[in-house]
Amino acid sequence: MSSGATTLETEVLIIGGGVTGTGIMRDLALRGIHSLLIDKRDLCAGASGGNHGLLHSGGRYVSTDPAAAMECRQENALLKRLAPQCIETAGGLFVAVEGDDPAFAEKFPALCRNAGIDCEELSPGEARRLEPVLSDKLFKACRVPDATIDPFHLALLNVDHARLINGSVYRPHTEVLRFEMADGEIRAAICHDHLHNRPLTIRARQFVNAGGAWAMNVARLAACADVHLLYAKGTILVSSDRLAHHVVNRLRPPGDGDILVPGGTVSLLGTTSTRVDDLENVSPVAEEIDRNIREGAAMIPALAGARYIRAFSRVRPLLQAAGNASDRAASRGFALLDHATQGIGNFCTITGGKLTTFRLMAEKTADLVAGRLGNGEACTTATVPLPDDEACSWTEPGTALKHWHRDSDPDDMILCECEMLPQSAIEQVFAGSPGIEQERTLQAVALRTRAGKGPCQGSFCGIRITSWLYDQGCYRDATGLAHLRDFFDERFKGQRSVIWGQQAAQMELAEALHCGLLGLDTLEGDR
Amino acid sequence: MPEIRTGNELMTESAVASINFREAALKLLPEGANFEACLTCGLCSSGCPASGLENMDPRKFIRMALLGMDEELSSTPWIWCCTLCKRCQYVCPMNIDVSQLVYLARGNWPEDKKPSGIVRSCQLTRSSDSTSAMGMPPADFVSVVEEVLQEVRATQLAFRQLQAPIDKKGAHFFVNQNSREPMNEPEEMVPLWKIFDVVGADWTYASKGWAAENFCMFSGNEEAWREVIRKRVDAVNELGCEVWLNTECGHSYYSMWHGIERFGLQANFRLESIVTYYAQWIREGKLPVNSRWNANGIKFTVQDPCMIVRKAYGDAIAEDMRFVVRTLVGEENFVDMQPNRSANYCCGGGGGFLQAGMTDHRRAYGKRKFDQIAATGAAYVLAPCHNCHSQMHDIGHFYGGHYGVVHLWTLICLSLGILGKNERIYLGPELRG
Amino acid sequence: MSAEPRHFTTQLAVIGSGIAGFAASIFAINRKILTAQVGNTGAVAYTTGYLDLIGKLGGAAGLVTDPWQALESLRETEPKHPLCRVAAGDIQQAFAEFTDFLGACGLAYSAPGRSNITALTPVGTLKQTLCVPATMAAGPRALAANAPCVIVDFRGLKGFSGAEVVANLRARWPHLTTQRIVFPGMERGEVYPEVMARALEVPATREKLAEALSGVAGSARVIGLPAILGMHRPDHVLAELERLTGREIFEIPTMPPSVPGIRLRELFQQVLPQQGVTLIPQQRVASLSFDGDSATLALSDSYGPIRIHAQAVILATGRFLSGGLEAHPAGIREHLLDLPVTQPAGRADWYRERYTDPRGHAIHRAGIEVDDSFRPLTREGHRHHERLFAAGVILAHQDWIRGRSGAGIAIATAFKAVTEAERFLSGR
Repeated sequence: MSSGATTLETEVLIIGGGVTGTGIMRDLALRGIHSLLIDKRDLCAGASGGNHGLLHSGGRYVSTDPAAAMECRQENALLKRLAPQCIETAGGLFVAVEGDDPAFAEKFPALCRNAGIDCEELSPGEARRLEPVLSDKLFKACRVPDATIDPFHLALLNVDHARLINGSVYRPHTEVLRFEMADGEIRAAICHDHLHNRPLTIRARQFVNAGGAWAMNVARLAACADVHLLYAKGTILVSSDRLAHHVVNRLRPPGDGDILVPGGTVSLLGTTSTRVDDLENVSPVAEEIDRNIREGAAMIPALAGARYIRAFSRVRPLLQAAGNASDRAASRGFALLDHATQGIGNFCTITGGKLTTFRLMAEKTADLVAGRLGNGEACTTATVPLPDDEACSWTEPGTALKHWHRDSDPDDMILCECEMLPQSAIEQVFAGSPGIEQERTLQAVALRTRAGKGPCQGSFCGIRITSWLYDQGCYRDATGLAHLRDFFDERFKGQRSVIWGQQAAQMELAEALHCGLLGLDTLEGDR
Repeated sequence: MPEIRTGNELMTESAVASINFREAALKLLPEGANFEACLTCGLCSSGCPASGLENMDPRKFIRMALLGMDEELSSTPWIWCCTLCKRCQYVCPMNIDVSQLVYLARGNWPEDKKPSGIVRSCQLTRSSDSTSAMGMPPADFVSVVEEVLQEVRATQLAFRQLQAPIDKKGAHFFVNQNSREPMNEPEEMVPLWKIFDVVGADWTYASKGWAAENFCMFSGNEEAWREVIRKRVDAVNELGCEVWLNTECGHSYYSMWHGIERFGLQANFRLESIVTYYAQWIREGKLPVNSRWNANGIKFTVQDPCMIVRKAYGDAIAEDMRFVVRTLVGEENFVDMQPNRSANYCCGGGGGFLQAGMTDHRRAYGKRKFDQIAATGAAYVLAPCHNCHSQMHDIGHFYGGHYGVVHLWTLICLSLGILGKNERIYLGPELRG
Repeated sequence: MSAEPRHFTTQLAVIGSGIAGFAASIFAINRKILTAQVGNTGAVAYTTGYLDLIGKLGGAAGLVTDPWQALESLRETEPKHPLCRVAAGDIQQAFAEFTDFLGACGLAYSAPGRSNITALTPVGTLKQTLCVPATMAAGPRALAANAPCVIVDFRGLKGFSGAEVVANLRARWPHLTTQRIVFPGMERGEVYPEVMARALEVPATREKLAEALSGVAGSARVIGLPAILGMHRPDHVLAELERLTGREIFEIPTMPPSVPGIRLRELFQQVLPQQGVTLIPQQRVASLSFDGDSATLALSDSYGPIRIHAQAVILATGRFLSGGLEAHPAGIREHLLDLPVTQPAGRADWYRERYTDPRGHAIHRAGIEVDDSFRPLTREGHRHHERLFAAGVILAHQDWIRGRSGAGIAIATAFKAVTEAERFLSGR
């Protein structure tokens, strides 16, 4: 198979580069099945890239969905063993504060135990010694084995491993426009390659819809009417500081602003849940920000005055369950649809679910697909560790810091000062990170590293990295500046709703530089 | 540019307990001027002569603190290359003072890992009532002063009645003395005595607390710094002097002035710099200096010691200093270096750098100062600070400069025609006479 | 060091150390008004050296080539814009006085002309500005003439790529090429424009750089550099390098930390005190009060408290970056006097959806209101105090960023505020 050809062939086409899609790719590869993974944008563009990064102990679901809770518990333990490089075992706390339902809080430890989840009851004093930021109005606390996981690192390593095993390929910026069908089967996916702006046909024996929130759209392209999703928009804020070491959950029925998750050197606060119809244009709004802060501050008062550097919104797909009032009560379990009732024999859709159970979702999907291919290999993702690869690891906050300490080379220019990202990291990403082979652009670099994730949100490093890309010959015309503008526009979506105080000063300087001096608001040509 | 050896003779592995720098910054720095306010614009790094040494700079320091790289920050030798000059704060639009965290890191190093020259100097300072960083005990100081005084009285006719009082109770000025002169170049004490004589100043040395260096401050040792300052404050209080007069040494002033406030000590006296008095005496006509001796138009520039200007008095004393210098050398013979006053660069002699044994780093640091001096084309740099004096002297030789470095007292006495033959060691041949 | 306040008495106190504050001091010096200037200097270090009057109008897509005509158009469409409240002749004079002052200090500028100059940016886009420093002037000339020109960049200098400049300008300037050299003495590690600029104040460094430049310039008659042409005597450094290389040379402002801004900051901090201004450049004013006789500014430095007693005060404290305005979740405040701030209804209206929306963001139009004498107004529309004036981008009804009019607003309104203050002072 050569890139640049207008028709590609594979055994399995996987649509959707979220964590689940990449997990399926790897699972299949381990069974000797070749696949092509495509995404209309790049990895983790949907819910996979816009969550807390929480590896659930399962505690959150013990009251509403005990089956999901147990799944989380099992997968949590598995992933800690098999992909430790993507995980920080921060530990979690559930805390109830004055005003929360004491009866709910009382039941919690027993519910955890029923689901097999380790739950250690702590006195309020003990809890506050562990996390001094906790409110003094706390009346109950439990410790559970929550952890945090980096979905970008995970997705990159999944794809990387599949590539290593059997040359399975990941192509970003590739969107399915329609399917070619015949005799109750999909023969090919007719796609558009947005990167090179040309059509692309992909022939495969099996087609997997791992489109996440877009799964319903993709299924309809195959004339499948049996995927029913609700869209729930969630908004999360990122603080400039890591306020708590542990994951801190509110010990009450799931609601808004009731989880604070550490993410390296920041904390993520969320989330809200609002029903939406539009998948594409979701941005945080002031009301969601304020709600998160208000609710979160009840358990951690410092959240009220914290500096927030950005907020983001993503859409979660929820399987529609008849007659349920609340979207939180809609199942967060997953569903694998084989579309048997739709008259298509080589198409399936995996949807719903959560980050924590991606491996299980991938296993079920791969079982179905392998079976349909007549491949008798069993799933091995529960036993084969996920190999590490430094080129994929630059999304983790700690990588650049370890590198600086180890390799400190004055000629290795640091291009993102906020995150200490050196140019050698970008060189390594170019050489080894999946999906960047044909796209040496600012956006591709930003997705695979922490460039732009610090307090300046890329306002300076975007310029430095772009200059460097021009020096390297990756950009040779005005495209680089268009990308720079798009990069700032994209990051701004996250900043817009939290611009006050210190951030207002930063934004003024940034805009004066980007628009006032560089004129990125008046570039010629198409947007 | 010389090949830099890193400070490997100091720490490389972390044998140091980590400080939580982020939390420390929250405690030490004021709101709005904290690490959180950093825009990562790089003005600090751009304006810091220590940038690039040990692959560090002030911006990196802030970022590393916020990224939780406490182990690295707790053990980097860069903290001995930063001279705590506070230029980072000066140029920062948010006024963030990185030096405070650097100071904290210094104090956190185990004593046996700190640069031994600095530690030794602190030990010597504490070893006797002199509080001398070179360990000169009171009796030796007293006898050196006596000897030199007798010599002057005997050999310089105009000064056969010259005084150099010690322990004179109730004198107006308690004058400090940098240890370098009595230890190594005792004749260099004399010009100041002559100046006091000319203006009729009521002054005294003290046998206790006469020296004013403070390497305990440079080693980050709060306890020791406090102990030394307390001893000096007691000495001044005991003699009942109204003014503690800091002579031409930078950190002596700063460590005393800031120390008194920091440690809440009771000082029954004012602290003043000799520069203020030079200016005042000249204006009052008590010190009738003029520039007629500089008929050949030798060009002079002046160094702004960080410890007196930017970190303490600010531009006001820089103006006084320039008034003194212009009067001394002639308006047209004075060339200001750029930048200057509170915006001037640290030369790299302070912060204990001269004693830290990191010679390559110190000289690399000093390149900017060398360029500043070279750009003036001046034949001499006037420096009312011992550490600046030594550093600018050293980098001048190292980078092939052709300038001399002199104290103000030398030129004042030269101008008045009272500079002794053996008080000219820092003057070039054209002025030695 | 004492806790006794030091008192200064002056005619005019200027609060703010940005372009508006410094311009006000210059105009005051020229009118022999005894002046004290206070403020936290910092943001002026970010200025690019270009002095913009009007570079863009409202939501119009293109850039403005004739700012005077744009000014006329602005009077129709945005009569409340601060520039519309200063006569065009005054704006011209203000720019002339300002640039004359800088020129006398060794930082020569092009005189304000009838049209904007098309100037270069570090990424190879073009910008319309009214006045450029002499050190940058050869660039626009060479661009207009499509002269053979080489952009020279430096090993170790981040964020400035000659390749980027050429790639983006090539269509318009076919004879533009690029070369990379090592700055003399800076073979390893990161290099900063500031350090290069100061090194070029030393003749020996200039000679070595000139040799390196000549070595790569080839047939180019013009050499473009990132802004490193000296810090204290840029005109002299430029002249020397041109003499040594035999070519025309120009510099382009870089991203922060950039030399032209630092040059201005150091220039103002040195020259203004020499010209008799009492300058306290590093301190924020803690409070400003008015009694029957005078206005009193309270501040302190490391040496102790300071009180400045003035007959008139110009508030030129800038916006969010410099702290003149504060953006709280509940609204925007002017913190020194709590002057009413005209602003959008709520935080949700501060910013549009898209960052680079050509219409700009409403938050930048927030600010304080002034009457025709440039005195700030209370909520009821009265003058806050007869002694109080305001200037610069703290004023409402302008977007200095998108309008490319920061220097213009600062200089023009400072001029107006000073002339009004002068009128008030002479009336006493």
